[in-house]
Amino acid sequence: MKICQVEGTLVATARIGSLENRRLLVVKERGSSGKQVAVDPVGCKPGDWVIAVGSSAARDAAGSKDYPSDLTIVGIIDYWDESGERAGVKADANPPRRA
Amino acid sequence: MQIHRVVRELVTTKRNFWLAAKSLRVVEDHKGNLEVALDPIGAKPGDFVVTIGVSAARIAAGNPKITTDLTIGGIIDHWDEARWRS
Repeated sequence: MKICQVEGTLVATARIGSLENRRLLVVKERGSSGKQVAVDPVGCKPGDWVIAVGSSAARDAAGSKDYPSDLTIVGIIDYWDESGERAGVKADANPPRRA
Repeated sequence: MQIHRVVRELVTTKRNFWLAAKSLRVVEDHKGNLEVALDPIGAKPGDFVVTIGVSAARIAAGNPKITTDLTIGGIIDHWDEARWRS
């Protein structure tokens, strides 16, 4: 699964029928420069950090095996501090010992 | 899914049987890399489109037997180049 940040909604009126009227979001994968488009069955806001699945798991995650998605959001991360992420990992790996 | 811009149409008369008579487009990504996508909608050169990859591309083509790994899923209503390149 990929960690992505939601940038905004994408409006595409002329679309293939099998995409239905699902919400599409522009997301930016953490640590990469390019933007991607994900199907959002969860309901995210711009700025949210989310986890998204790719390949054939994206089809199942969108609700059915026949849904043509290659990137689907499966969850909103409750807390993600991008600036202090490294420090946070270190602190969790070596929790302070208390007598 | 990715955001691509349609560059031009692509004609291949001699083709794999399972490409059927589907129309093809040359599309470019934000870095200028060219790829070929199957187009079930009828996008025009200059249109920004959402493209679907991997196995979902075959479903998006309308028939899972169609041999494609990139299919245009929709034409984006509002998009600009600055937002695309950033």
